[in-house]
Amino acid sequence: MPKILYIEHNGKEHVVDADVGKSVMQNALENLVPGIIGDCGGACSCATCHGYIDPAWEGKAGSRNENEEMMLDGALRVEPNSRLTCQVIMTQELDGLVVRLPESQF
Amino acid sequence: MNSAAAQSISWDPYNTDLIPNPYPMYKRLREEMPLYYNEEHDFYAISRYADIEATLRDRDLFSSAHGDILEFIKAKSVMPDSVFIHQDPPKHTAYRSLMQRIITPKRMFAVEQDIRALCARSLDHLVGGDRFDFITNLGAEMPMRAVSMLLGIPEKDQTAIRESVDARMRTEAGKPIDLANQQAIQQEALAGFEEYISWREKNPSDDMMTELLQTDFKDPEGVVRKLTRDEISNIVNVVAGAGNETTNRLIGWMGKTLSEHPDQRRDIVKNPALIPAAIEELLRYEPPGPFLAREVMRDIELHGKKIPKGAAMIMLVAAGNRDESRFVDGDKFNIHREQRPHMTFGQGIHVCIGAPLARLEGRVAMEEVLKRFPEWEVDYDKAVMSSTSSVRGWDSLPVWIGSKPKNYVAPKPAAPAPAPAAPAADVTLEGTWNVVVKGPTGPQPAVLTLERNGDSFTGAQAGAGTSTPIADFKKTGNKIYWVNHITKPMKIKVEFTGELSGNVITGKAKAGFMGSYPFTATKA
Repeated sequence: MPKILYIEHNGKEHVVDADVGKSVMQNALENLVPGIIGDCGGACSCATCHGYIDPAWEGKAGSRNENEEMMLDGALRVEPNSRLTCQVIMTQELDGLVVRLPESQF
Repeated sequence: MNSAAAQSISWDPYNTDLIPNPYPMYKRLREEMPLYYNEEHDFYAISRYADIEATLRDRDLFSSAHGDILEFIKAKSVMPDSVFIHQDPPKHTAYRSLMQRIITPKRMFAVEQDIRALCARSLDHLVGGDRFDFITNLGAEMPMRAVSMLLGIPEKDQTAIRESVDARMRTEAGKPIDLANQQAIQQEALAGFEEYISWREKNPSDDMMTELLQTDFKDPEGVVRKLTRDEISNIVNVVAGAGNETTNRLIGWMGKTLSEHPDQRRDIVKNPALIPAAIEELLRYEPPGPFLAREVMRDIELHGKKIPKGAAMIMLVAAGNRDESRFVDGDKFNIHREQRPHMTFGQGIHVCIGAPLARLEGRVAMEEVLKRFPEWEVDYDKAVMSSTSSVRGWDSLPVWIGSKPKNYVAPKPAAPAPAPAAPAADVTLEGTWNVVVKGPTGPQPAVLTLERNGDSFTGAQAGAGTSTPIADFKKTGNKIYWVNHITKPMKIKVEFTGELSGNVITGKAKAGFMGSYPFTATKA
C-alpha cells in the first residue's frame, strides 16, 4: 500500500497506509489523523480538509479544480501549495506523499 | 430481539416525553432497530453514524427537493429556487456556489473582534449580579446582532430595533420572558428589509448585502446575472433564520452542559486553548439541530427491510453523534476525547454553510462567558426547554452566578395562577398586529390587519410575501380565534386560538396536518 505522511502544525508526524482511489482527506479520517475535519465528506463544500502539499509532490498531485479554487479563495491561511485534500485522490504514484496541515481548519 | 422490547421502541419528533432526554431511546434505536419505521407518522429513521453518513453523502438517492424537515417532505413542499437548502442540484449548486463565495471563513474571521464586542455588550452589565440567563442575555442577542452586522444593517437601525424590543420587555415586566422576545427581535430585524436593500444598493459597502447585490452568478438555467430582490430576500431569510436559532441553542447547551461538568469547566478556565475542542464536543453531545430528513428517490433495502420510493427518511444526527462504534463512551461529555468529526453540521453538498460562523461565535462566547463567570449553576425550576421538528434546546436557561444560594428553597408547584389583572383599558382590536408563529423551520413573521364593522371583524394577514384574507374572527371574553388560509409555502388552513392579555395575544396556531405551533401577536 502506498504511504502518506501527514505532518500536524505542531510537527507531529503520522504515516498512514493509504487506500488507492480514496481521497487524501478520507485516508486521514479513517486513520484518525487529527487536524483534518472534512465536514462535508468530500463534496468540496466546506474547506475543512485544507492541507499543504509538499512542493516535491505538486506535479503528481494534480492541480486545483474550479470549485476548489473558489473554496480556497475564502479559506484561511492559504498558500500557493494549498489544496483541499478531499480533491486529491490517492494513487500508487503518490506513494510517500507529504501533506502538512494548517494550524486550524476554522 | 423479543417482540416486547421491539414494541416499546417508539420515537417521533413530537413525543414530548422524549424531549428532556432522548438519548436512551436513541441508544436502543442504534442497537436494536437501526432502521426504524414509524407507522403513525409514516417515516423511516436511521440512527447509526455510518448509515447517516452514507445517506447524507448520497444526494441522488436522498433528495432535498422537498426540504430537510419531515412535515415539509410529507407535504411535498416546493420553495423558490433561491431557498437552496430546499433544492437538489443543479438548482442547489447555482445558489450554493454563489453563497459559498460570500459566506467564507475569511469573512467570518474578519469580524471576530466585533463578535467579541457583541458578547461584552451582552455580558458586561451582568457582572456583579447573582444571576443571568444564557438565552435571554446572550443567545437571543449576540447571534442575531452578528448576522445583522455581517449583512451590514446599520448600527443606528440595530439600535432602533433593540430599543423597541427593550420597550416591549419593560411593558411585560413581571411576566416570564418568553420566546416572543427572541422572535420579535428577528422579525423586526427583517422588517423593512426591502427599504434597507434599496438603501444599500445606493450605498455599497464591504458587507454581505453589497455582495448579494453586486455578485454575478450562473443561475439554474445557465444565465449569468445578479440576484433579484426576491431572491435576496429569500436567501437573507434562510441565512438569518438558520444563523440565529441554532447558535442560540448552542449557547444554551453550553450553559447547561458546563454547569453539569464543573471539573471540565475548570480545566477550560485554566487552559482556554481547550475551547475549540470543547465547542466541537458540545456540538457532538447536544446538537442544536438533532435531526435532518430527506426523501428517498428509489425503492431500496436497508438492514433487511424495504423502503419504498417517496418515503421520508429521518437521520437522527444526535443519535449518530453518540454511536459507540465511533465515539468511545459516546454518552459521556468529554472535552479531552480523541477528536473525530461529528455530524452536527450535516455532510455532503448541504453541509451547514454557516459552520465557520457558528464555531467562531461558540468559541468567542465561551471565552467571554468564562472570563467573567468561571462558575455557575442552572436554576432548573425556572429553565424552559422546547423541541420542534428542526431544533432542540433551551428557551430560557437562568443560572446562579457561582452556585445555588445555600438558603434557596425550590418554589412549590404553582397553585393555579391568578388571572392576570385586566389592563386598565382594553386594547382596540382594529389595527395592525405583528404575528410570529414559531413554526418547524423557525419563527415565521406575519402582519395581521383587522377592521371593525360594528361587532364583527374582518381583515387580512400578510406573510411569506403574500397577503390572504382572514375568516371567522371571534372574541369571547379574552379568548381570540381566527382562521387564515395561507398559500405559501403551501396551501394550508391555519387556525389561531389565543388569549388576549394587555396588547399581546398568545396561543397556538394549528396548521392542518402539520400540527400546532405557538404564536404571539403584538399590537403594533
